[in-house]
Amino acid sequence: MIRHLPALLFMIPFSVAVSLPLVGVRHRQWCHPLALGAVAAMSLVAGLNLGAVLTYGASRYAFGGWAAPIGIEWLNDELAAIIVLTLSLLTLTSLVFAGGTAPRTLGGRVVPFYTLILLQSSALAGVVFAADLFNVFVFLEVAALAGYALVGVSGGRALVSAFRYLILGSLGASLYLLGIGYLYAATGTLSMADLGGRVPELLTSPAIVGGLTFIFLGLAIKMAIMPMHGWLPDAYTYAPDAVSPFLAASVTKVAMIVWVRIMFWVIGPNASIEHIPVVTFLDELGAITAVAGALLALTQREIKRMFAYGGISHMGLVLMAVSLGNPTALAGGVFYLINDAVMQAALFFLAGAAIHQSGVRTLDELGEFRGPAWLTGALILVAMSMVGIPPTGGFFGKWNIILGAIEAGNYFAVGAVILSTLLTLGYFIRLFERLFTAQPETAPSHVTPPSLRISVAGVSAAIILLGVLSDPIVRVLLELALPDGM
Amino acid sequence: MLELVGAWLLRPNVVAFVILFLSGFYIMVTHHNLIKKVIGLYILQTSVIFFLVAVSAKTGATVPILLPGANPVDVALYANPLPHVLTLTAIVVQVATLGVSLALAAAIYRQYGSLDEDEVGKRLE
Amino acid sequence: MIQRHDSLIVSILGRGLIPVTQLFGLYVLFSGQQGPGGGFVGGVILATSMLLSLLIFGTDASQSRLAHRALHGDGVGLLLFVFVGGLCMIGGGEVLNYAALEIPGLDVAARRYLGIVLTQIGVALDVAVTGVSIVFSLSASNGDSHA
Repeated sequence: MIRHLPALLFMIPFSVAVSLPLVGVRHRQWCHPLALGAVAAMSLVAGLNLGAVLTYGASRYAFGGWAAPIGIEWLNDELAAIIVLTLSLLTLTSLVFAGGTAPRTLGGRVVPFYTLILLQSSALAGVVFAADLFNVFVFLEVAALAGYALVGVSGGRALVSAFRYLILGSLGASLYLLGIGYLYAATGTLSMADLGGRVPELLTSPAIVGGLTFIFLGLAIKMAIMPMHGWLPDAYTYAPDAVSPFLAASVTKVAMIVWVRIMFWVIGPNASIEHIPVVTFLDELGAITAVAGALLALTQREIKRMFAYGGISHMGLVLMAVSLGNPTALAGGVFYLINDAVMQAALFFLAGAAIHQSGVRTLDELGEFRGPAWLTGALILVAMSMVGIPPTGGFFGKWNIILGAIEAGNYFAVGAVILSTLLTLGYFIRLFERLFTAQPETAPSHVTPPSLRISVAGVSAAIILLGVLSDPIVRVLLELALPDGM
Repeated sequence: MLELVGAWLLRPNVVAFVILFLSGFYIMVTHHNLIKKVIGLYILQTSVIFFLVAVSAKTGATVPILLPGANPVDVALYANPLPHVLTLTAIVVQVATLGVSLALAAAIYRQYGSLDEDEVGKRLE
Repeated sequence: MIQRHDSLIVSILGRGLIPVTQLFGLYVLFSGQQGPGGGFVGGVILATSMLLSLLIFGTDASQSRLAHRALHGDGVGLLLFVFVGGLCMIGGGEVLNYAALEIPGLDVAARRYLGIVLTQIGVALDVAVTGVSIVFSLSASNGDSHA
């Protein structure tokens, strides 16, 4: 049974997702409990899976009984187990949050919402586990299509953003598929383990270089690295409030995990073409994204848009960290990615709670907003983590990234981390200034439903927990999650 | 320069793929009508699928279906079936993307009364 | 709301063509075991037959009742696929390892055959329902809505 856990992680939400439309025809009120139960089961199985991987080591799961390189395999290693556990817990919290705000913000389209969220989380679990390039493409596209529909599920202004997201995201997926075509034409195999044996010797071939470039371009559009980030601010800002936290915490992070796998398992960390390391350009791109994202966040007026640009900036930091080429930076980058998922979810929960409470969307409207104490306290905690103040998880992530950058001798990266931290501090100070100098006329009108408070409390606890447990997690990532040869 | 052009002419598949890809990309970027953007995306995806099929083709090869009783199997006689599998899946993904994009375009039309990107942008305010 | 087509020739041809198209779709679905064909194409042809009835006779006609019924089957096909995969897992093998289907009286090759046929039927059902629902969502005007 233990060896079937990865497949169960995909099958449980997927089977509930495809049965929800049948159930929802007659009993719409069962959708929320069913979805919540499915994701709770998925989180439980993800926890068991992490325990099994830490005890017994990595394993491979061959679908249909056909082993690689003929068949399609899933690689269940520590990296995948940690990421899937994070994803399922964040999905659970998002569904709890959605239960409080859903019927109003979704415009009545309850059944499509739950179906799409379950489909997307099962497909993202598939992306993280897949050890075959084409399997990654299929699951990435399923997740992306569910994402496009989720952004537009309640209609209105979000439809145009969803259309733009669709055009750019499909362009990215086509570029990724093109890269796979080039790699297959040059090597004859698509399994990551097999490619890892063949690609490093062939790096002078134009087909391989072209293929890897196209794969990176496609994934960069999905990860929203500048300048391919244009779809993200609109999509996250205008998506329904129940959808934004889940989208912000999952889609770009999983695309980054795919790139980490390709970079370290297929290309190899020390690869170089004519003595220029392959990943040289990438950490500069990451640094530019980190600084420019935070700079753009500083100039925004709408709260959700500000948080979206903050997310772009953090993805740039992670890209920079994983491109530095040494284990400390990689572990720091992946740990920071997990932190960023939790922080983005927390920020969008808070923004959604503020909108649900008083309809506050822009910084100017914050002047009339008088938030309940738990909301302000959670916001302070998340801001501490975003900036990187101990004992929150964000501090330890940035600490490891800076250590790794110093170890690699790349002081440009250290400067980028510090600059983006200062800019993040800048826009949070701006937010707090509006919040604390507010002159509210009336007390808040709605009583916040307990589900909102539970979800915000959950992610705040997760931020503190990640900070406290940062040392064991980073050690696990360092020793076990890295491929041989680093 | 001349040998480059000669190399291109020897590979009409790849040249056709490049022309289709760039046309699809150009249509996607320059036209204002939402449906034309969708058509551009479709042409782009079709060009990538065409490239996959071109990878699998061999001169003088036949359809990769093994008839019962045909032994021994001479691999050079059959076209490579793996890119065919990739193609099938990519076509299904393409059709699903087309369905979602058309549904979104229809919803935008119902909401804003226009399919032109600039018009919709003006009505968003 | 698609209106009925005016021409008499089209109606008569439709009445003849639509059942033939459905039979052909089923044939393509099952002939995928031995040659080209299979679930996707079979499903698309089945969707085409329902789409023909919608276009020729209109959305409200009695000939289009199958298309309306098909809308409710959103996900039946994938449920069948997951069910077969789950049966394989219960039987002891990996997911979709059809050799592990516990059906008495069949050897390994016949089990794989049966597994593939069942999953292809599931895929065809789902593709057909998807095709019809795309057409319905594109043709609905502001007054119509379906869950």
